[in-house]
Amino acid sequence: MNFTLNVWRQKNANDQGRFETYQAKNISPEASFLEMLDVVNNELEAEGKEPIAFDHDCREGICGACGMMISGRAHGPRAATTTCQLYMRNFQDGETLTLEPWRAKAFPLVRDLVVDRSAFDRIIQAGGFISVNTGNAADANALPVPKDNAELAMDAAACIGCGACVAACKNASAMLFVSAKVSHLALLPQGDAERVRRTLNMVKTMDEAGFGNCSNTGACEAECPKSISISNIARLNREYARAKLLS
Amino acid sequence: MSSILKKFLMALTGLALVGFLIAHLGGNLYLFLGRDHFDGYAKKLEEMGPLLILAEIVLAGLFLTHLFMALKLTGENQTARGAQGYADNSKNQSTPASRWMWITGLFVMMFLVVHIKMFKFGEREKPITAKGEEIIKAFNGEEAAKQFARESGEHGSLYGLVQKEFKRPAVVGFYVVLMLVLGAHLSHGIASAFQSLGVLRPGWLQCLKPWCVALAWLIALGFALLPVCTFFGIGIN
Ligand code: HEM
Ligand code: FES
Repeated sequence: MNFTLNVWRQKNANDQGRFETYQAKNISPEASFLEMLDVVNNELEAEGKEPIAFDHDCREGICGACGMMISGRAHGPRAATTTCQLYMRNFQDGETLTLEPWRAKAFPLVRDLVVDRSAFDRIIQAGGFISVNTGNAADANALPVPKDNAELAMDAAACIGCGACVAACKNASAMLFVSAKVSHLALLPQGDAERVRRTLNMVKTMDEAGFGNCSNTGACEAECPKSISISNIARLNREYARAKLLS
Repeated sequence: MSSILKKFLMALTGLALVGFLIAHLGGNLYLFLGRDHFDGYAKKLEEMGPLLILAEIVLAGLFLTHLFMALKLTGENQTARGAQGYADNSKNQSTPASRWMWITGLFVMMFLVVHIKMFKFGEREKPITAKGEEIIKAFNGEEAAKQFARESGEHGSLYGLVQKEFKRPAVVGFYVVLMLVLGAHLSHGIASAFQSLGVLRPGWLQCLKPWCVALAWLIALGFALLPVCTFFGIGIN
């Protein structure tokens, strides 16, 4: 398969940045999107040109590193799929694809398609953990967790922190990410002790990082590679009201 | 103020305004019962005196809070994208209504100014009393006599004012278009407010949303019906 790529190239945060056009030729339909970029980069390197910088790590859809905008869709057009798990057979032969980095004030650009997502780390550091001493691994079922809560917590815990929610949101809001992290812990007994502090601190850090507010448009949920539901955002709003009343 | 608190205010004021719209639409349906009922309803409201003024102040407060928060949120949201936007922005997975809230909101605001000027501060036609009828008769129905009879009446008729304005095609067109804009605002706004307030459990949003959208269009089309029915004389004469 052949593709025309319109790729955002930018040396560093201070550079102006511009689109460059590349041809991806003889790409196997079985190649993943990142493998297609590897092929293009090999050719660029052979010609003595700078390869396109993109973030990646696990290449199996679990680390959240590989996010980019592919023709206006976060992680490309397929639902519930990371860029590394997206295959070229999902595109039309000869298609022109526009590749852009996540655009958000809180995610400063590092190079080309790579952005700095450490704002998410700061939010996690503000409360996305459990600091009670849990001792040895407890016996199974020693700590009762209602089945429904276990399911909802597990759904929220599927978040890989890739930033697609921020990228897709017209307001570059991080509410889906924060709500997944808050929900995951608030629904479990282990997370209950720090529930109030966690919610307040994570929301405060989110706001300070310069993310936008949530307009409930639902674009985040549609683009999330882990299909995290915006019902988590409703829960975060509830948790926040509760935390404000109890603090 | 945190982003979530701002959204609580937005949602609470928005829902309170929806409550007002429902009550206002209910009151306006007196138009279908005719001049006496409608003017009687208006008179009752006016006779509430200080209570009415208090209600008006609360309403103005709700509008101004909603407007102020809307401008603040919209400003913050637009800077959060950063200096460089997307080149391809055409495939955002959300409804146009949810993306254009500040634009539809500003149109609603503009409508309100026109609407209040038209009906709260508009000049009411005076009804012709029994005595007035005698005068008109005495002068063989001359136009000047009618005018005199009208001006010497006691109460202005709001019904008459509504009749006069809603017989003008430009006014009817303006009302219908702006009510569609209001419908768009509410078609996202009502469900959004419940989500902002966190009152939805998993799955509830999907169930509740169609009802919220239906309520939005019921309100908007309900209001749009009034000028249309008056203009064509359907049920309102
Ligand atoms: C009859 C008048 C109005 C009613 C009933 C109304 C109702 C609502 C409701 C229920 C919401 C949802 C709140 C939420 O998302 O949590 C909302 C949102 C919004 N309203 Fe209004 N509104 C009215 C007038 C206005 C006006 C005059 C503006 C002025 C610009 C405005 C701007 C907005 C904006 C920008 C949002 C979305 C906020 C966001 O994206 O987070 N509205 N409105
Ligand atoms: S590279 Fe890890 S999720 Fe794609």
